[in-house]
Amino acid sequence: MTGAVDKQGLAARLGLTLLNLVLVVVIGGFAAAALVRYSPGFDVDENSWNPRISAATSEALHASRARENELPRFYLNYLSAALRGDFGQSDSLKVPVSELLRDRAPVTTRLIVFGTAGGLFLGALLAWLAVWPRKSAGEIFSVTISGFFLAIPPAVLALFFFFEEAPLWIAVAFAVLPRVFGTIRAVLANVHASPSLLAARARGVRPLTLAVRHVAGAALPQWIALAGVTLVLAFGVIIPIEALCDVPGIGQLAWKAALSRDLPLLCGLALIITFVVACAQSLGELLGWEGIGR
Amino acid sequence: MKLLFALLLCVAPAFGTASKELRFAIPGEPKSFDPLHLEESNSQTISYLTSGVLVKINRVTGKLEPELADSWEIREGGRAIVFHMRSGLKFSDGSPLNANDVARTLARALDPKEASPTGDTFRSSDGPPAVQAANARDITIRYKSPKANIDRLFDQLGITPARSGKLPASAGPFFVSEYRPGEYVRLSRNPYYWKRDPEGHQLPYLDSVRVDIQTNHDIELARFLRGESQMITRIEPDAFDRVSKEKPGAARNLGASFDSEFLWFNESPSKTLPDWKRRWFTSAAFRHAISGAIHRDDIARIVFRGHAHPAAGPISTANAFWFNRSLKPRTADPQASLKLLATEGFHQSGGVLRDREGHAVEFSLITNSGNTVRERMAQLIQEDLGRIGIRVNIVALDFGSLIQRIAKTLDYEGALLGFANVEEDPIEEINVWLSSGPQHPWWPSEKSPATPWEARIDQLLLQQASEPSREARKKTVDEVQRILEEQEPVIYLVNPDYLCAIAPSVKGVQASPAPPQALWNIERLRIE
Amino acid sequence: MKWLKRAALVVLASIALMGILAPQIAPRPYDAQSRESADAPPSSAFPMGADEIGRDRFSRLLYGTRVSALLAPAAACVSIVLALGISFVAVSGSRIVFFGFSGLTTICLSLPWIFLFIILRAKLPLNTGPALSVGLTFGLMGLAGWAWPARVFAASIGEMKQSAWLMQARSAGVREWRIAAVGMWPHLRAIALAQFRILVPAYVLSEASLGLLGLGVPEPLPSWGNLLRDLQHPDIVRSNPWVLAPLGLLCIAMVCLELLQSSREAAL
Repeated sequence: MTGAVDKQGLAARLGLTLLNLVLVVVIGGFAAAALVRYSPGFDVDENSWNPRISAATSEALHASRARENELPRFYLNYLSAALRGDFGQSDSLKVPVSELLRDRAPVTTRLIVFGTAGGLFLGALLAWLAVWPRKSAGEIFSVTISGFFLAIPPAVLALFFFFEEAPLWIAVAFAVLPRVFGTIRAVLANVHASPSLLAARARGVRPLTLAVRHVAGAALPQWIALAGVTLVLAFGVIIPIEALCDVPGIGQLAWKAALSRDLPLLCGLALIITFVVACAQSLGELLGWEGIGR
Repeated sequence: MKLLFALLLCVAPAFGTASKELRFAIPGEPKSFDPLHLEESNSQTISYLTSGVLVKINRVTGKLEPELADSWEIREGGRAIVFHMRSGLKFSDGSPLNANDVARTLARALDPKEASPTGDTFRSSDGPPAVQAANARDITIRYKSPKANIDRLFDQLGITPARSGKLPASAGPFFVSEYRPGEYVRLSRNPYYWKRDPEGHQLPYLDSVRVDIQTNHDIELARFLRGESQMITRIEPDAFDRVSKEKPGAARNLGASFDSEFLWFNESPSKTLPDWKRRWFTSAAFRHAISGAIHRDDIARIVFRGHAHPAAGPISTANAFWFNRSLKPRTADPQASLKLLATEGFHQSGGVLRDREGHAVEFSLITNSGNTVRERMAQLIQEDLGRIGIRVNIVALDFGSLIQRIAKTLDYEGALLGFANVEEDPIEEINVWLSSGPQHPWWPSEKSPATPWEARIDQLLLQQASEPSREARKKTVDEVQRILEEQEPVIYLVNPDYLCAIAPSVKGVQASPAPPQALWNIERLRIE
Repeated sequence: MKWLKRAALVVLASIALMGILAPQIAPRPYDAQSRESADAPPSSAFPMGADEIGRDRFSRLLYGTRVSALLAPAAACVSIVLALGISFVAVSGSRIVFFGFSGLTTICLSLPWIFLFIILRAKLPLNTGPALSVGLTFGLMGLAGWAWPARVFAASIGEMKQSAWLMQARSAGVREWRIAAVGMWPHLRAIALAQFRILVPAYVLSEASLGLLGLGVPEPLPSWGNLLRDLQHPDIVRSNPWVLAPLGLLCIAMVCLELLQSSREAAL
């Protein structure tokens, strides 16, 4: 996995990774669709308990929505349409899924990108405090902060920021922070102890050059992989935050879709999420290091 | 230039007080903007604000008032009704509205292929009515036999334009001008609305209404207290107390609403229910004993913070016309409950109630999760029944799973639910009481009534459905309430008060317990 | 630093002991409702005040600690053991096996697990006792949470297998099990502890979200998760700050767990 590979080997690896990606996305999407289809509450809707609607009308409404009952056929049709960019129409919102995603993507992207960047920055700051000054006070402080934010539910953190009228991406950053702190700390500790860094310090290299070339540069593949994985982490944190704080993003969409068993929407979301996660994992693998979350 | 100035002067009085936007929230997405496809309360709320109807029930006086129709007559002993429309009516897109549009709307509602819930209201046991527009202003609707409530029904028929669209035109005070899924619906003032106030100003006073989609009640409350919204149409008891403290004039308690909270037991021949348990649930004495062991006053005091009244049956005590005044809420008496249970062979041993075969009395109570009020009620009930030796297991389920159990698989024992936005006339809930009704709680869609009293209720309900006189129907409905109190297949707990928060800047509100409570006269609301 | 680690251990042990001895320490049963004292402020009768239906918050905190402080770590252990096993198999196998493992973990990380819990609730009899329901919930969480730690273990084991010292040990004839136990285990233990630190609060909080679906700890049994649900309502927090107590305990427990790991271990 590590070590030098020739051009042919790299092409083969890329090809296999791509194949793996496609397989994973297709199977992942199907597994998600199956979970939704066979969960209780799929085949009923609120009309069943609405006294104003007669049995006949309820049956007729139900029949008009019965096209998803054959799962394999539905999934195959769905996939072929998805390849053309058509992710179907949401059952609960009656709007094309691609339109929903397009409208909501900016909100969620903003939260994820700023939240990830903020979380990585704060994590790096704390990790530096824990490793570099070689003082136990710094380590205790960093570790305490990390533990504190690990314990708070992300949604509660977000609500707090919401009521204080502060931007929500800060809550995402604080939620991501403890989950990356350990990894960054491990990498920094390794770099700190490495012979090349010691030699550079002994030669009197300036702190800025030290930071850029010997710290960031030395572990660049790891940082890139970490960034990718953190984005995935941030998305997991976003769902409860958006759901609780009524933020009109993709996380809230996923939660509402789950509650209303909206199969086309959930299928679309599953395909996209699996694709993003798979890309992040593949990136880490290709770069030869997956020291996530130590 | 002079012409423009003159025009501005003419319209200025109309705009004088109507320069604001009313903002409030609904808890979920409106599934449809088509008045013929209102399947849940959020779509219903939007429809109340946008649909043009022939007649409207004044929610305060209960009288029927002319809207798109300026007069009407009931003929042939309640079998037919003739409406006379106003002239010069238009939809919000400028297209004309006349009797032909009414006929077309009604035909679409009654079309089985359309599967319109509104159509269900207009069908009778003899089938759909014949609809005939004699000319552009007169329309006759004729049933084969007399239909109860034949005039008041039309309060619910929103007239639709010929051209449908994503954001359809409407004939009410507002029309849907913008919809962002998950965020809000904006309703803009209908420039062609026919109604004027006594001074001759065109209504509505408001320029627009912004209906936010907000699931989180705490955020809704925070927005209201910050002044970002002017109304909370349904507020929870905890939040109500907070508004009372921080904005005393804004919190309004309109007294008991028509809503109710209740519990019942599964009496259907479900395979998952053991026979000995079904024997408990089908015994009226058992049900009375359970009902008598529950402290309704504690529920009203603790769960609803005093903003609820113990219920005395399916019709709320606040429903002045239809409630049977001879009925009283049951007071808690655990000792009397134990005596009643003893007559059925139940006995206590070691603090546990057992039936005559020795089975410990234990059952599960399902309710919907995410509803704090209902979960707290369940905990109080669990404790109350625990005191007489009955073990209750509370299971809170998401709504889909819950409906699956009570409406489809019938795999449950006890259930705790409620009805909200209940209409004043009990004919709206007939599917709950008819034994063949799909929402007949303890045994949905019975093939035939399982007991003589259920058969009697069926008979009475069908009788009043074709009775044109409200007073005659009242006598029949009183009898139905009496039977339901005698048998208690559904144990009614409380009627929550209707609580809302209205900012003092909103004028003209005449809130009443009947839905849509504070919004029924939206065209006369203004913000100062 | 040593004294700090000892202090952290003592604190953790105290929390666990608090939970285990809850029936002895708690002034009242966790489900006893004093209906006249709903929302009562802190007093001698109710050290942390009473909740909305008159139950003693302090007693509920103690019993909640019992559930969460014992079961969440147990679920985390299940995930870690499963992850270790699967990752060993994956790394020791061929390239195809590894790709399969990689794909499987990606799928497991992307699936909407919420539906599996809904299905579990549907299959469980409604009258399942609280102990079984709680056990099954945490058990399923443990089984479902192996994917993330597995990737970390796989990466680490893979690196170690390529390392110089391991090849040297192998060529010197040291047995595989000895290499694993003496060489690999200290590294893996550090990673396992780090994963444990992340999984425990994640499971405590997941249990709270599952409560919204009917699975999770059933009422009236308290747990940190369902006690933390009160935090979603700022009004409740404002009127009685003791509502923050379970959060405080969880924070203290997490900080202690973090302090148990030194930076030297973290570097491995």
